[in-house]
Amino acid sequence: MRLVMGNEAVALGALAAGCDFYAGYPITPASEILEGMAHLLPPRGGVFLQMEDELGALAAVVGAAWGGARAMTATAGPGFSLMQEHIGYAAITQTPCVVVDVQRGGPSTGLPTLPSQGDAMQARWGTHGDRPAIVLTAASVREAYDATIRAFALAEQYRQPVVLLLDAVVAHMREPVDLPPPPPPSRQRPRPSAEPPFGEHPFTPFGSGRAVVVTGLSHDDEGLPRTGSARASERMLRATEARMAADPALGGLTSYRLDGARLAVLSYGVTARVARAAIDALRGAGQAVGGLELTVLWPFPEQGVVDLAGQVDAILVPELNLGQMVLPVRAAVAGRCRVESLGRADGTLFQPDDLVAAVRAMPHDSPVGREARHA
Amino acid sequence: MPRIGEDLQRYLRTEMMPTVWCPGCGHGNIARAIAAALEHLAYDPERVVLVGGIGCSGRTPFYFRTNALHTTHGRALAFATGLKLARPDLKVVVVTGDGDALAIGGNHFIHAARRNLDVAVVLYNNSIYGMTGGQQAPTTPVGARSTTSLSGAIEPAFDAVELAMAAGASYVARTTTFDVQEMPLLIADAIEHPGFALVEVLTQCPTYYGRLNRLGEAPEMLLWERDQTEPAQAPITREEMAAGRPIGVFRREVRPEFTRSYAALCERLGAGADG
Amino acid sequence: MPDAMTAEVRAARTMRREPLGVRLSGRGGQGVMLAGAIFATAAMYDGRHVVETPTYGPEARLGATKVEIVLSEHEIAFPAVEKADLLLCLSRDAYVKYGRAVAPDALVVVDETALPTSADLPPGLVRLPLRAVARELGAEMVTNVLALGAIVGLSDAVSSRSLERAVEEAVRGKDELREVNRRALQAGLDLGRAGRAAGGGWAGGRAAVRRD
Ligand SMILES: Cc1ncc(C[n+]2csc(CCOP(=O)(O)OP(=O)(O)O)c2C)c(N)n1
Ligand code: SF4
Repeated sequence: MRLVMGNEAVALGALAAGCDFYAGYPITPASEILEGMAHLLPPRGGVFLQMEDELGALAAVVGAAWGGARAMTATAGPGFSLMQEHIGYAAITQTPCVVVDVQRGGPSTGLPTLPSQGDAMQARWGTHGDRPAIVLTAASVREAYDATIRAFALAEQYRQPVVLLLDAVVAHMREPVDLPPPPPPSRQRPRPSAEPPFGEHPFTPFGSGRAVVVTGLSHDDEGLPRTGSARASERMLRATEARMAADPALGGLTSYRLDGARLAVLSYGVTARVARAAIDALRGAGQAVGGLELTVLWPFPEQGVVDLAGQVDAILVPELNLGQMVLPVRAAVAGRCRVESLGRADGTLFQPDDLVAAVRAMPHDSPVGREARHA
Repeated sequence: MPRIGEDLQRYLRTEMMPTVWCPGCGHGNIARAIAAALEHLAYDPERVVLVGGIGCSGRTPFYFRTNALHTTHGRALAFATGLKLARPDLKVVVVTGDGDALAIGGNHFIHAARRNLDVAVVLYNNSIYGMTGGQQAPTTPVGARSTTSLSGAIEPAFDAVELAMAAGASYVARTTTFDVQEMPLLIADAIEHPGFALVEVLTQCPTYYGRLNRLGEAPEMLLWERDQTEPAQAPITREEMAAGRPIGVFRREVRPEFTRSYAALCERLGAGADG
Repeated sequence: MPDAMTAEVRAARTMRREPLGVRLSGRGGQGVMLAGAIFATAAMYDGRHVVETPTYGPEARLGATKVEIVLSEHEIAFPAVEKADLLLCLSRDAYVKYGRAVAPDALVVVDETALPTSADLPPGLVRLPLRAVARELGAEMVTNVLALGAIVGLSDAVSSRSLERAVEEAVRGKDELREVNRRALQAGLDLGRAGRAAGGGWAGGRAAVRRD
């Protein structure tokens, strides 16, 4: 057991997942991931690269992935905005890679050191065009470690960029955890493959014994640019999204003291911890309140929320933004129960008392509410 | 240097032709010169990655049987940096336009040069944005017309050669599409150079630059290129550089190269043989 | 956890609040971040749940800075400290900045230089010559460890044995620092215990008024 910081856990999780390439650019509150990788990768023969900006960082990651590396970058708000073009590029080119975004207060330079959950929608829709998206989140140091490992696994399974959203609190806090020492580095050289390199076929990086064409233009399964009916890349993106939606293993919901609950708090990241404290207090006072926590933001775990709406009279969605994940919650609930948004974007956490008061203020019997209240 | 062979089939993806380029566009001449250089060096196409940016020039990789990484506007060198560090054993050649390399991608250009990354960069300089329809580029000379400088550009232009030299490139050359014999030799030279190697090729865009500036069609533009430039002997003085547009090799020196320095660092820190 | 420790651990636990919010503050350069790490490590050695949140960036280097530690017997839900149960201020500006954000019967330990006047001290406040004693030991830089000793002497918020172990851990490999830190820790514990005997610190979970 030792005290480990959230950002350090991300770096260690990456190594545990076999990450052997990191490119990044310094930014608060994500810099400890950059510094951690700068320290950890070179002695293992992995590549650490400090690029000239975040566009370049994700470009280098994608380039390295096509060289057969398990590659990752990490950033925060402004850098995540810069990366959006290449998240789209990684999506259409089916490039497995991991992007960690330690959210901070925005927009713009905003509140550099203070926590936020303002990138939940950007992580889903930030790049232009449509794409499947996997976005994970974590509420503790241990979860940050596990989610990083999972991000690599999912990136490879779906051949897509996977985003891990943290917040400044989880990234900077230290908790005692028992982490295994990182495994020795193991770079597998790409296997020769005769299959076309795109679509449902396995990832075939450069140097696999056949020349590969990679482009951000719409392309066929050979990677050659195409327009019209042969645009396999659009079909691929739809099919990938459908596979994700149908994958029960993706999961994404953890319940907290939900049995018998008539009211629910639906939350994620650091806010889920506040919710737990509030739920304990409310339960102690005899209120039938429980929690549902998102560990996968996207694809949105819709069915679990539909089920919740069948159980409770009202759902409170507290977020450190002015109401982002409440939108898919409302869409899933579709009027089955009341949904209340509790938003806050001033760089401070909710206090358990804030949530206690918000739950107490929720009318149990009134019709579906639409108003968001912004603390 | 030996003569360049003529059988380029091994390197050119002829089924992708005709190309997207306009009749008379110089980009095709440059692509052919790259194929000739690869043939001259007898590289296995599977061991070469052509990395392209966005623009007419950036389309080049599609016409090659090598690996192709057609990236985003301005970022080809950033993709190439990651790729080359992950796979130093692959030959990486970057093809980029003047807007691609010097405007949106200017930062990646100077930093790749600063790192002395082992890539060859072929910069297709047609003094204008071709792909998007003839807008002003950072290379458009003062007074020249584009669709965004119809009264003549007032901004001073970048000189890619000087920029690369100042940024630390270890091989810097310039040629033109008029110099059909020399072009493939310079490109081959750059590919073989162990470090950041720039070959700026002045090329003609008859569709936009030629038409907007009344320079005629491709043949007239080639002669205009010839008249614009002056073969120079390295080392070249600043005065010569400033006076006109010399062509030739301006720098060829061996400096610590990034991927090798990185490998040495790993070794110093105790990385195993599999690094 | 070895059995020999249990008496101390028990002492720490009976004195605890649940969860206990600790804020250590001072000026950048006073070793507050390290003190936070040592304190959190000691709590971990006691077998308790702990979340430690240091301050990063320029704030950690300039002006008043703080580290927060939440300790609990149970899993810690809310990870931040809003109103501290235990506050340490090693500098005047830290006291000005953080002195008010405390729970009603919090224990507040300040260096005498942080609060030059002895008039009208708020209840629960203990004023100690932490920096001066550290200087007497020959190194003001050990004020942080001395202060941890004092806090623990006053409150048993963590066991002194775990604190000792955590300090040892922090100076591992730095032989030239071990002895002075050891002495600082002992001096701090003595200061704290003396203060407690004189009526400071927590008695039965309530902070006693101390005016000196
Ligand atoms: C981020 C971004 N901005 C703008 C564009 C539009 N765009 C495509 S090519 C191009 C200019 C290309 O000019 P140049 O690099 O000189 O190459 P050429 O087409 O002349 O060969 C521009 C602005 C884009 N694709 N992406
Ligand atoms: S627009 Fe200009 S640069 Fe582009 S293909 Fe046509 S002639 Fe060439």
